[in-house]
Amino acid sequence: MATLSDLKISEVKLGEEHTGKWGMVIDQDICTGCQACVAACAMENNLSFVGEEDSGYGRSMHWIRIERFWEGEYPEVKMTPNQPMMCQQCGSATCEPVCPAFATVHSQAEQLNLQVYNRCVGTRYCANNCPYQVRSFNWRDYERPEPLPNQLNPDVTVRRRGVMEKCTFCIQRIHKAQDKAKSEGREVVDGEFTTACAQACPANAITFGRVDDPESMVSQLAKRSHGVKHLEELGTLPNVTYFKGG
Amino acid sequence: MIKSIFDWLKQPLGLIAVGITVLTLFSVAAYGIYTTQQAPEQPIQFPHQTHVAFGIQCLYCHPGASKGPAAGLPSQAKCWACHNQIAKTETSALLAPLKEAVLSGTPIQWVPVAQVPDFVQFNHRAHIAAGKNCEDCHGDMSKVTIAQNPQVFNMGWCLNCHVESAGEDHEKLVKLSDCGTCHY
Ligand code: SF4
Ligand code: SF4
Repeated sequence: MATLSDLKISEVKLGEEHTGKWGMVIDQDICTGCQACVAACAMENNLSFVGEEDSGYGRSMHWIRIERFWEGEYPEVKMTPNQPMMCQQCGSATCEPVCPAFATVHSQAEQLNLQVYNRCVGTRYCANNCPYQVRSFNWRDYERPEPLPNQLNPDVTVRRRGVMEKCTFCIQRIHKAQDKAKSEGREVVDGEFTTACAQACPANAITFGRVDDPESMVSQLAKRSHGVKHLEELGTLPNVTYFKGG
Repeated sequence: MIKSIFDWLKQPLGLIAVGITVLTLFSVAAYGIYTTQQAPEQPIQFPHQTHVAFGIQCLYCHPGASKGPAAGLPSQAKCWACHNQIAKTETSALLAPLKEAVLSGTPIQWVPVAQVPDFVQFNHRAHIAAGKNCEDCHGDMSKVTIAQNPQVFNMGWCLNCHVESAGEDHEKLVKLSDCGTCHY
C-alpha cells in the first residue's frame, strides 16, 4: 500500500516549463477599474473589515486589488490600464519554501498554492517573499457588526487573528463544482462555474478555467500573442495571463 | 520571606497541604477533560435506539447526508408527522417538550454532537458516495439514547481512513491527502 511518505513534494523546479491546472486570463484593456471583483471576492471569502485606522498602517485586507500606475514625465503623465492583481498561483511559488510550518503548501491535486489556516503560526515570511505582494495578514480579530455575520460564506473558514491569507482561486467553488459533477457521474465542464471575481466582473475582463485543457476558454484566450505573465523572469511560473494594449 | 514559606512547606503539615493542592488540581483537570468528552445536554432525551429498532433509516431524519455537506437535524414538523399518529405522544413525559414545541411553534434547539472545527470543510455526500456507512463514524445508534461520539474526530483519524481507502491508487491518494481537500 502506498503511504503518505511516498508522495513527493512539488517536483517543479525554478524556471522549468509547467502546465498548471487552473488558470486565469485578465484583459486589462477592458477592465474599467470598477472594483466589483474586489467587493465580490471579499463577500465570497469572508474577508474582514479592517477599518480606517489599521488600513492607515497598511494592514488592509484584500485578496484582489486594482493596481494603477503612471507613465511619463509631468505634464505628459498617462495612466496605464487598470491591473487587477491577486495570487498568481505560481507553479514554483516563492512563498512556499520559506514557511517554517508548511502552512503554505502546493496542492498536488489542484495545482494551487494553499494556505492552511489551522497550520499557520503567523511568521509572515511568505508575505515578505511574495513578489506580487498579494498576501494579507490578520493583525486583529476585526469586529463584524450585526447583521453582517449573516452573510458569511459557510464554505469558507472565518480566519482568526494571527494567520496569513490570500486568493485561493475560490477553491471552495472548485470543490463544489467537482462534487456536483461527481454526483452526476460526469466531469466538470468548462464554464460550468467560475470564481467570484470573474462572475462579478461586468466587463468580463476575467476568465477562469482549466489551463491544462487546450479546448477551454481560458487556454484559447491565453494563446493570443500579447499575453504576459507578470514577473515571469523570476521563475515563479504564474498561472495568470494578462493582456494589455492588444 | 520566601525561605520561611519553603521551611513551612517541608513540615509534615506543609507536605499534606502540598499533596492536597496537587490532588485537587489534578482532579479538576481530569474532570474538565472528562466533561469535554460527554454528549451535550439535549432539549429532549431523544432515544436513538428506539427509533432504529423501529427500522427507521438514518437518512429519513438526516436526509442531507446523501445530498450535501450537512446531514441536518430534523425539525419538529418531521417528528410530528409520525408522532401525531401515536397515542403515546399525548401521555409520555419524554415527549411533552415535542408537543409543546409543535403547539407553540418554537423550534427545538437540538445540540449537534458530531462537529468539526470551522477550518475543516467536511462533506457528507462524498463520504456516503464512497461507500461509507453512517455507523463507521458515528457508531452504532441502535445502542445509544442521545447520540455520542464513539471516537475523537481528529485529523489523524480522518487521514488514516483516507490513506486506507486510497489503497494503491496514487491519484486518489494525492487527492485524499491534499491539505486543500479539507482546509480552505
Ligand atoms: S479567484 Fe476567488 S479568491 Fe481569488 S481573487 Fe478571485 S474571487 Fe478572490
Ligand atoms: S470587476 Fe472587472 S472591470 Fe471591474 S475592476 Fe474588476 S476586473 Fe476590472
